[in-house]
Amino acid sequence: MLSRSQARTFFLVGTAACTFAFVGLTVDTFGQLPSRTNASAITPEVARGKQLWDENNCMGCHTLFGEGAYYAPELTRVYERRGEYFIRAMLVDPAAMYPGERKMQRYDFSIEDQDALIAFFRWAGTVDLNGFPATPNLMPLAVGDGVAATGGRPQLFNTMCLACHAMDGQGGQIGPALDGVGGRLDAVYLRRWLENPTAVKADSRMPVLPLSDAQIDELVAFLSQQKD
Amino acid sequence: MRFESQRVAWWFFATCMLLFTLQLVYGFILGFAHAGYDGLHDVIPFHTARATHTNLLVMWLLCGFMGAAYFIIPDECDRELYWPGLAKLQLAALVVVGVTAIIGFHFNWWEGRKFLEIPRPLDYLVVVDVLMFIANIGMTVWKGRRLTTTSMVLFFGLLMAALLYLPGMIPTDNQTIDSYWRWWVVHLWVEGVWELIMGGILSYLLIKLTGVDREVVEKWLYVIVGFTFLSGILGTGHHYYFIGTPRYWLLVGGLFSALEPLAFLGMAIYAISMAKRGGRRHPNKIALSWTVGCAVMSFVGAGFLGFAHTLPQVNLYTHGTLVTAMHGHMAFWGAYAMLVLAIMAYAVPLMTGRHLHASPASTFAFWTSNIGMIAMTLAFAVAGITQVVLERRVGMDFITVQKEIEVHFWGLILAAGLFTAGILAQLWVFVRSGLPVGDLVSGAREGEDGYGAG
Repeated sequence: MLSRSQARTFFLVGTAACTFAFVGLTVDTFGQLPSRTNASAITPEVARGKQLWDENNCMGCHTLFGEGAYYAPELTRVYERRGEYFIRAMLVDPAAMYPGERKMQRYDFSIEDQDALIAFFRWAGTVDLNGFPATPNLMPLAVGDGVAATGGRPQLFNTMCLACHAMDGQGGQIGPALDGVGGRLDAVYLRRWLENPTAVKADSRMPVLPLSDAQIDELVAFLSQQKD
Repeated sequence: MRFESQRVAWWFFATCMLLFTLQLVYGFILGFAHAGYDGLHDVIPFHTARATHTNLLVMWLLCGFMGAAYFIIPDECDRELYWPGLAKLQLAALVVVGVTAIIGFHFNWWEGRKFLEIPRPLDYLVVVDVLMFIANIGMTVWKGRRLTTTSMVLFFGLLMAALLYLPGMIPTDNQTIDSYWRWWVVHLWVEGVWELIMGGILSYLLIKLTGVDREVVEKWLYVIVGFTFLSGILGTGHHYYFIGTPRYWLLVGGLFSALEPLAFLGMAIYAISMAKRGGRRHPNKIALSWTVGCAVMSFVGAGFLGFAHTLPQVNLYTHGTLVTAMHGHMAFWGAYAMLVLAIMAYAVPLMTGRHLHASPASTFAFWTSNIGMIAMTLAFAVAGITQVVLERRVGMDFITVQKEIEVHFWGLILAAGLFTAGILAQLWVFVRSGLPVGDLVSGAREGEDGYGAG
């Protein structure tokens, strides 16, 4: 049977070997990190964004690289998913963007700070995360062949509108689904609505979105085509 | 209790109970927010409540470890603490720093780094405080009349915990590197050196409570902490799957995390077999319940649930979801909260001279809190798995899914109510035990701990 000194030897040798291996892997990891994390793209603006991310404990609700709390959305790919305009609107007045929903604090970030956070998110989206977050793979099985491709829709519609509305079963459920909206509402109405929802319907909770005229043109043209 | 200076531990334990109770209050704020009732949002937003909830936990556990060390080390080393006054000063300083940090969280003064939210200036004060503690314990061990394996394991666990706090302070602009060092602190604490502390405290309790020969208990202590480090050090890799670090961490982390349950299983078998083997009928049965319970629950929460969550192919979907909260709650409860409650259950009657360990409230506290925590874990599991399937597998929108799982948070709140009832009973037992004014068992030898023959 194992003696006490053998037990101690097992402990000391095992611990030393594992510590040695761990330090070795750490050295190798740090050699690979500059290219894997796209470190050359960490500009002073990105660094400022990270500083804001830390100072305001954004990780206390959101996750980034899957790390943080689980109260608010994962933000690793937010730049790709929502785009600059949506993120900026969210940073200015979160309650307006998700009316009556789970709340985010209002920070009143300056334009420079908004730019810094957007730059930080854009950088975060370029880090090689070994396949995280994974692409959801059960949807085709759940709804059969009827699932729509995201192609054909304007990029702006996918990033901005789908945050609250759904189309073809994709998107949020905060506003009504937009399938067939072009059959119900005409282009003039849609334009007035996008310019200022409450001017059309006083009790609407949809915010005035920071859209340029050209962007409104694009969305109106697309929505008008959604006849069924 | 054999030495006057051991009494200081009572003040650490009192701080524990106070902070623990406050931690539960913040837990309820988080639970209600998840269930859709965030009425306190303007005063205590979610991230404030969360940082407070987790940092109170870390603080009361550290307080408990320090109290345990101040109680155990004089007994093991057969002498008074080297600087009894410093121990009191050190507690006062720790409380001031901790309270300042918690208040700061409510005014947006923190670092947004999970578990290490304490602002940088206070980090330095924590380091100074811990150095005072380590110096005091170290001098007591050094000048002690006896050098035991238990006290060495406990001392080195505490020393390494202090040293491993430092990597968390390395500044960087790279989020990946930030996370890399942060896990050196958090992981190597809870799945590394804290387990040394756990092993040391458990072996002390088993020697005292079961009457099994020290030689046998301490031999197996080496084996258990050996397994802990064998799996835990490279097991850090399960935090390096998806943060920008190389792909080989999936293999290294996956393999060694799969070994982590072995260390916890070893701990559980160790505690149960020692408890069975000991012929001695110690009168403080509830302390033995907490001791064995700690080993068993840590195997389930940290060992088994940790294993299930850290398999790389599972973690790809569960990483960053409520499944983590499920594993986290039972792991911390089983491994560390129950450990501190175990040493308290043993030591408090000796310090106060009032033996309430056989009271119905003590038994109620043990069973109700454990059943409550198991129910909480189940509620988190249902919420977490639903989130994983709907959001990560099917691709539904985050907020839509969160609304779908609100109902499970009502389940969580009910379970947490049960848990809280247990903890309040424990608090009641502690308060009724009174101040540390019990008699010293002067000149006692090992085995005569003040409980009598039983």
